[in-house]
Amino acid sequence: MNSLTWRLTLLTTLWVAIGLGLIAWFVVRTDERQIQTAADARLGSLLDAVVAAADFDPAVGPLLVRPLADPEFDRPLSGHYWQITGPGGSKATSRSLWDSRLVPPLHEPEGIRARDVDGPRAERLRLLERDVQIEGRFGRVPITAQVAVAREGTDEEIASLRQNVILAFALLGTGLVAVVALLVIWGLRPLRRTRQELVEVREGRRQHMDVAAPIEIAPLVAEIEALIEQNRATVDRARNHVGNLAHALKTPIAVLRNALEAGDVTGARTQSATLERLVQHHLRRARAGALAGTAGAESTPLAIAEALATALRRLTAARGIVIRVSGESEARIRADSQDLTEMLGNLMENACKYGNGQVAVRVEQAAPGRVVIEVADDGPGLPEGEDGVALLRGVRLDEAKPGSGLGLAIVSDLAALYDGQLTLETSPRLGGLAARLDLPGRLGPGPYPGPDPYPGPDWPGLSAPSR
Amino acid sequence: MRLLIVEDSPELHQQLRAGLTEAGFAVDGAMDGEEAFYLGETEPYDAVVLDLGLPRVDGLTVLRRWRAAERAIPVLILTARDSWTEKVEGLNAGADDYLGKPFAMAELVARLNALIRRSNGVAKTELVFGEVRLDTAARAVSRAGQTVRLTALEYGMLAYLALHAGRPISKTELTEHLYTQDFDRDSNTLEVIVGRLRRKLGDSLIETVRGQGYRLIAANSG
Repeated sequence: MNSLTWRLTLLTTLWVAIGLGLIAWFVVRTDERQIQTAADARLGSLLDAVVAAADFDPAVGPLLVRPLADPEFDRPLSGHYWQITGPGGSKATSRSLWDSRLVPPLHEPEGIRARDVDGPRAERLRLLERDVQIEGRFGRVPITAQVAVAREGTDEEIASLRQNVILAFALLGTGLVAVVALLVIWGLRPLRRTRQELVEVREGRRQHMDVAAPIEIAPLVAEIEALIEQNRATVDRARNHVGNLAHALKTPIAVLRNALEAGDVTGARTQSATLERLVQHHLRRARAGALAGTAGAESTPLAIAEALATALRRLTAARGIVIRVSGESEARIRADSQDLTEMLGNLMENACKYGNGQVAVRVEQAAPGRVVIEVADDGPGLPEGEDGVALLRGVRLDEAKPGSGLGLAIVSDLAALYDGQLTLETSPRLGGLAARLDLPGRLGPGPYPGPDPYPGPDWPGLSAPSR
Repeated sequence: MRLLIVEDSPELHQQLRAGLTEAGFAVDGAMDGEEAFYLGETEPYDAVVLDLGLPRVDGLTVLRRWRAAERAIPVLILTARDSWTEKVEGLNAGADDYLGKPFAMAELVARLNALIRRSNGVAKTELVFGEVRLDTAARAVSRAGQTVRLTALEYGMLAYLALHAGRPISKTELTEHLYTQDFDRDSNTLEVIVGRLRRKLGDSLIETVRGQGYRLIAANSG
């Protein structure tokens, strides 16, 4: 599940389980050893008592010269046993062993040997044995003394210890996980509060976010706040545009109505053209307004030029215009692809309209960080000194061809928005007009060169350098 | 020439119908995409004027469906959405021409005429048959240099025969391309029109092919 609370709790549970598990294992092992050592020590003193009371009579074999204090050794199959093995395998045993025997001694290693063996009742026994020389009434004799006690008591103690430790650690672990879950829930509370505030802002019950958030999420809140501000500004701008448009339309409409009432067809036509131009202009403005904040958009000029060429070939099918598109297929331009389509579409349509059937589009890198798209035709081109005129809004050099005359002005405006520019010159190859669109871009994927990344169209103080 | 107008705004629909009828087209109309698709599928239109923002099924989808069904009717998209991105999308979906709103009726008529000429493989705007000249752009007809006045139906029949000059055209085909869907189609009227055309332009221009219909003698070059 994609939840922070879940993730953190899950991780904690895992870590706590592994950590506490290891510690519990270690604790149990250590305590087990201690219990075993204590039990062995008790067994050791019994062994000492047996050794101290042991004697050897060559006629009888090994024997105890005095009984042991613990009556358990005399009760049959009590779980407390001793056995003395003399030279030649002669044995003396406690009464408790009855007619069974303990395992034969190992004789090595030297010293006291401890091991677990099966007893006469098939119970587990802890057995201690030791090889000693006794100084008896009949001289020095080597014997082996063995003492065994049932493990039951020790095993029960160990089992209960293990159970207690596991229980304690399980409780501790559960507690830890619960605390972490609480911490996470509590720690994430500011996020929930922020969300709640955002909801309130969206529903209009609140103007601003409460910025008194913890330092970790304060920047986030500030960013959201900035976004809200930007949105508000955009909406205001849009509202302004709509207002401007409505007001700008009122006058021509009034004139148009008067012209219609007066039967002045020419006047009406002029006004309707004005209206059309106004609408076009404001549509562009709206588009440009929408651009603020779309930094980072990229488009591939060659693919766009090819799509446009296909469309234009259809549009001009009757005239059989040859449109060639060439250049860097990897080139990318830092502009929204709709806007690049609009710019290139206008330039290529112009070339089809004014050329004599040859149009060439070329995409190349002009300088690091700049991509130039040149649209050339084989038409009459521009007269000397007329370059700027064609760019003026609404002025067409050749009034005979259809079109609103807004084409180049739109391209120039849009290019400026993207820190680019449109220049017109004579095409050396085709002889007609060559429109050069110079825009920020690059060849292929990778970072943009230069220290100043594209600042976006409306970035204050970082306007396009004049070229 | 028979047209299908697909436009959902009632005022513009009415204006288009009036303007194009006046320009000599037989005009059928559809107000939504579903109706448009059905009509374009079943009726033999010479061209379609297609709006993009339509109720039920949008214009581009209608166009794509026609093209998928291999209907090759010439389609002119007439829309307020005239950014180049939208133009490219429309043209590459199979439209033959694109006109943005607002538009002048004269330009629409000229574009439609050019479209119909092109779809019939005729590149020139002026067709010459002996001493008869037919200017498809200006919709003007002259005989031996003298302008001849024709009614819309007469012009429509002449233009249709001229665009398919040399091929006999059946009465059914002529009816389908001269009259709208709801017109009372009486094939006798065709004979009346042919009679009037022969009277105005000369008997030898249109010949009757027995059992097959009418044929215009092949065009002279020039």
